[in-house]
Amino acid sequence: MRRVRLRVWVIAVPMAALAVATIYPLVFTANVAMKTRHEYILDRFSLTSSLSWDNIATAWTSVGLGRYFANSVIVVASAVALLLLIGSMAGFALSHLRFRGSRALFLCFLAALFIPFQVIMVPLARVMADSGLMDTYPGLILAYVAQFLPFTIFLMTSYYSGIPGEIMDAARIDGNTTYGVYRRIMLPIGRPALLSVGILNALFCWNDVLISLLMMPSPEHRTLMVGVTSLRGQYSDDIPTFASGVLIAALPVLVLYLFFQRQIADGITAGATKG
Amino acid sequence: MPLRGSPSSVRPAETGRTDETQAGQRTRRTDPGVPTPRRISGQRAERLAPYVLLAPAIAIVVAFRLVPLLMGVNFSFTGDGERDGTAVGLDNYAELFRDPLFRTALENVGLLVLLLPVAVAIPGLLATFIYLRVPGHPIYRSVYFFPAVLSPVLVGAIFNLLLAFDGPFNAALGNTGIDPVDWLGDPDIAMFTVVGVHVWATFGMALVVFLAGFSTLDATLLDAARVDGASLPQVIWHVIVPGLSRTIQFVFVTTMIGMLTSMFGLLYVMTSGGPEGSTYLPEYYIWVQQGEMNRPALASAASTVLFLLMLVVGLAQIALLRRAGREH
Repeated sequence: MRRVRLRVWVIAVPMAALAVATIYPLVFTANVAMKTRHEYILDRFSLTSSLSWDNIATAWTSVGLGRYFANSVIVVASAVALLLLIGSMAGFALSHLRFRGSRALFLCFLAALFIPFQVIMVPLARVMADSGLMDTYPGLILAYVAQFLPFTIFLMTSYYSGIPGEIMDAARIDGNTTYGVYRRIMLPIGRPALLSVGILNALFCWNDVLISLLMMPSPEHRTLMVGVTSLRGQYSDDIPTFASGVLIAALPVLVLYLFFQRQIADGITAGATKG
Repeated sequence: MPLRGSPSSVRPAETGRTDETQAGQRTRRTDPGVPTPRRISGQRAERLAPYVLLAPAIAIVVAFRLVPLLMGVNFSFTGDGERDGTAVGLDNYAELFRDPLFRTALENVGLLVLLLPVAVAIPGLLATFIYLRVPGHPIYRSVYFFPAVLSPVLVGAIFNLLLAFDGPFNAALGNTGIDPVDWLGDPDIAMFTVVGVHVWATFGMALVVFLAGFSTLDATLLDAARVDGASLPQVIWHVIVPGLSRTIQFVFVTTMIGMLTSMFGLLYVMTSGGPEGSTYLPEYYIWVQQGEMNRPALASAASTVLFLLMLVVGLAQIALLRRAGREH
């Protein structure tokens, strides 16, 4: 009996240590963000005594993270709304309507899922520049939609495939057109999937740096993540302000994670097990 | 379902006509009843509905993913700068493989392949322990998964603070009497550091996938193994690994793809490819050539190489793991 116990702790203690190691970096950063510069230079590990919000205010206003934050919110909200609309329309059509080429189309979308952004970024920049979309909000929004649409279609299709066709037949007998079925039946029924896919897409877009770095070269168009990277150079001697910027950028993600952990994990594993 | 008889196969020499007249004829041909004009337009709308619903998705995927993919391959055979637009054959590829930075990038891919089993085994083992209900198991999933939702840029920024020469990492080492390490400044160490941070940030993702895989595992097999007195390593090797072969295969492929395509943020923030170009990966090389050197054609060649690399890695892993799965 004792030997068994011992064995359990051989596993449990490292796992608990790893859990601490997972959380500690963020705690450390939050602690630094609250310190004054003087306090940080004296001792970077001690618990902050000041609980000063000055760094956050500095990062938000004088560094301009507020502006970048607004840019990110505009772009991410638009991209997610478009992704959900276009993705659910396509997912409904691919799962419940019969038409020529539906299977081939689905396979095309699936194949597009495996094209990484790095592989198409050079010509994409040229396509965007040629169509006047470079360095504009619509351009970045479209780039995000294009990047995450195959994934969205894939998940929406597999969600709608699980909904019996009889529901649609019944709605048709009641006099609905295909569009009516989409709007009155499929959109409301798809809410759980839309929530899960929407949150995942919001995370992907919010966290992205490569696409926005490529698509939004001018400083006033920077998204928050690009803003944080530029902070590094400007405030290399002011670590507490830098840490505050990191904290500001992480906060929306933290909130989403706290409230929608289940949906995020569901979205990821739905892609995994059905792939 | 009215969409069944969609007749583009019965569309002989009508190519000169507009879509509208075609659609009208179609309706008449497949519907022998007396059609009122309203019914015709209603039916046409119904028939076109799937295409209307799919049109935006098709347009976006074609214009911003498939066309750029083909353009990119095409670009890679043209010149940069003065030779812009002219065909140069394989010149870009030759230059690519002469470039020591790109060679380092490829060597680093090799390193990633070697480290891959570790990056899969860690979440796999942790998921196993959580599944076997190690004390505290209800909270581990959420805690471990949490860094996976953070942006690589933020993870990189946080670890820049932690790994600073006088930061917490070296302070902890100092307490055990080990000299401070220059985690990001030493060319022999920096790549391992970055990969380590990547694994720290992403193992939760694989863990969640593994846990989903466990929910499909037949629990009676585990009980049987336990009754037979199998040890934990034996259970893992003879019951869990074969039972989860599909999940393991999936995690292998996605982890490799993640290492090849989602370390940009970390590299950008933590090392910028340095020190001495030791932390280059193909994806970072593409960015530098495109965004900083203004060499889009060379960058396209590197993109094509990355794409082929991913295809090869993906297919090889699937083949390998299929065979391993069959032997069991």
